[in-house]
Amino acid sequence: MFIQILFGLSALLTIGCAIAVAVTKNIMHSCVFLLGSLIGIAGLYATLGADFVAVTQIMVYVGGVVILMLFAVMLTGGKDYVSKAQNLLGLAPNMGNKWTYTIGLLVSLVFILTNVKLVSSVIKANPAKTFGNEFPSTVNQLGHLLVKDHVLAFELSSVLLLGALVGAAIIARPRKQ
Amino acid sequence: MISLASYLVISLILFAAGLTVMIARKNLVAILLGIELILNAAALNFVAYSRYVTNNLDGHIFSLFIIVIAAAEAAVGLAIVIRFFQIKETVHVDEATQLRN
Amino acid sequence: MNQTVVSYLSQYEFYDSLLALFGNNQGLLAFTIFLIVALIIVGLCATIGGLGTYAERKISADLQQRIGPNRVGPYGLLQFLADGVKMMTKEDVMPFTADKMLFYLAPMLALVGVFATLAVLPFSSGFAMADLNVGVFYLIAISSLVGLAVFLGGYASNSKWSMLGGMRGASQIISYEIPVTISILAITLLAGGMSFGTIVGMQKGLPINWFIFHNPFAFIAFFVFFTGALAETNRAPFDLPEAESELVSGYHTEYTGMRFGFFALAEYIEVFVVCGVAVALFLGGSNLPVDIKLDIIPIQIIEVVIFLTKTLLLYYVVIWIRWTLPRLRVDQLMSVCWKYLTPMAILNLVGCAIWLVVFNGKSMADMVFGH
Repeated sequence: MFIQILFGLSALLTIGCAIAVAVTKNIMHSCVFLLGSLIGIAGLYATLGADFVAVTQIMVYVGGVVILMLFAVMLTGGKDYVSKAQNLLGLAPNMGNKWTYTIGLLVSLVFILTNVKLVSSVIKANPAKTFGNEFPSTVNQLGHLLVKDHVLAFELSSVLLLGALVGAAIIARPRKQ
Repeated sequence: MISLASYLVISLILFAAGLTVMIARKNLVAILLGIELILNAAALNFVAYSRYVTNNLDGHIFSLFIIVIAAAEAAVGLAIVIRFFQIKETVHVDEATQLRN
Repeated sequence: MNQTVVSYLSQYEFYDSLLALFGNNQGLLAFTIFLIVALIIVGLCATIGGLGTYAERKISADLQQRIGPNRVGPYGLLQFLADGVKMMTKEDVMPFTADKMLFYLAPMLALVGVFATLAVLPFSSGFAMADLNVGVFYLIAISSLVGLAVFLGGYASNSKWSMLGGMRGASQIISYEIPVTISILAITLLAGGMSFGTIVGMQKGLPINWFIFHNPFAFIAFFVFFTGALAETNRAPFDLPEAESELVSGYHTEYTGMRFGFFALAEYIEVFVVCGVAVALFLGGSNLPVDIKLDIIPIQIIEVVIFLTKTLLLYYVVIWIRWTLPRLRVDQLMSVCWKYLTPMAILNLVGCAIWLVVFNGKSMADMVFGH
């Protein structure tokens, strides 16, 4: 029961905030809505029993990425280049005329139908299982997986992070004219 | 009971929202926001499949790596945006037309 | 397995009679128990936060040879209630150029971030609201909402002082999160788990068994953690975001009434939470000095009292530091974090790992007394 309530709230938060990111004109507000969406996804991870991933999500995004984004918005003025023309609903910036929308709708219909066809076999093969409210801990197993099966990816990601650290510092440092 | 399909639908909406942001916005930082949404849609799919289909934790590992890569990407991307702003004094994506100078 | 206060209470007989009272509805009973415990903990911590303002003024008065608040109630004890009433009745001013949504959101985020950490704080071995497997990690993650709130509050006010305070606050909190997290990681390594239950359970008995005395590296890690935690809660000598002599009041310059009260309350409760975490990780948590096999409710209450006593002693130290040391400069603040605390924290982590391998996981006490 709790899981369903948590799922409903998280799904609402995720979807609502994701759409708000797309339609809000103020980019600072977009960043804050992105935060809401990411916290909602952490809630969805919790309903899937992925406690470690959920907390990592909050840790990395709330504590790091979103604050970085806000800093970047502030340092670059936060101007959003919205054209005067609006789309059909008058919400998002203009993306084309009615022909683009018609073609886009048709393409997305084909895309969705293809995907439903592909995924439906998976969904049928795995009917909704009844999970209890009890979740086993994933932390120990994840630790073992990271240093046994996936140790190469783990080490490579540390190299990637080091590269990102040095690269970001070099790119953003003020240069003498 | 919550089914796999509901997670997939949420992930689809996230992906669509991210793509809309990436296409419609002209601010470089906003494009990075769209990328974050898309990466999260993928990560959510991995965890959902790992619970409903494979019943092991490899999907969790995948989504952890996606989070790591998203963080690295955000750091480098924002550094580039700030450097771009120092040179051009704008973050409009159409101004990024030169490969040097 | 995640332990909660409900699963702790369910081992007693009265739980079954309560269950019968709720018509054998497990979910409803669990929800009710969680609600009651949450209300108790939030009420307790809000009172501690309120009394924190009183203690701050009284102790600072003591250190400066003044008298301090002494008008409202005995010894001025009810001063915080009077302050609260004053704040509630004040006009809620919002600057004309402020960003309305973010201006409203920021104080809420600060309070949510702090109250969410209370869910895993181990008041005793049974009375923690939830003993998550990822307890410490959750606490670090969710408390970073406060940093975001500081930044948003500074930005939304749309004033120079707030903006400077908010940027200082966000950069300071992000920077100091690194040494704090790595120090906590060292303790996680020693305990072999991230849940507060595991960590506190490893430190049973006399003070010599506490993690702070486990090995020399853990001893240094405590001071790194404490310094970093002071900076994370924006306490002096790291109170640059609200430096009143330079920035009027920093990120909450433009806030009035209860919104300002939210920020202040969040700060005082966060200090309490940080002290509680330091107690649980390094100073033995809620363990009794003697090993009692009985597991009854009165023992739990004694444990809660022990935990609160240790935490409030540490709280006193925090206030004492605030009124003793002068404020750092911004460049000094950053060099303290990146040039001293972070390398020390990494060395401590490596040192703890080597200690565990070389001495087979034994603490100093084990080696001296030879268990």
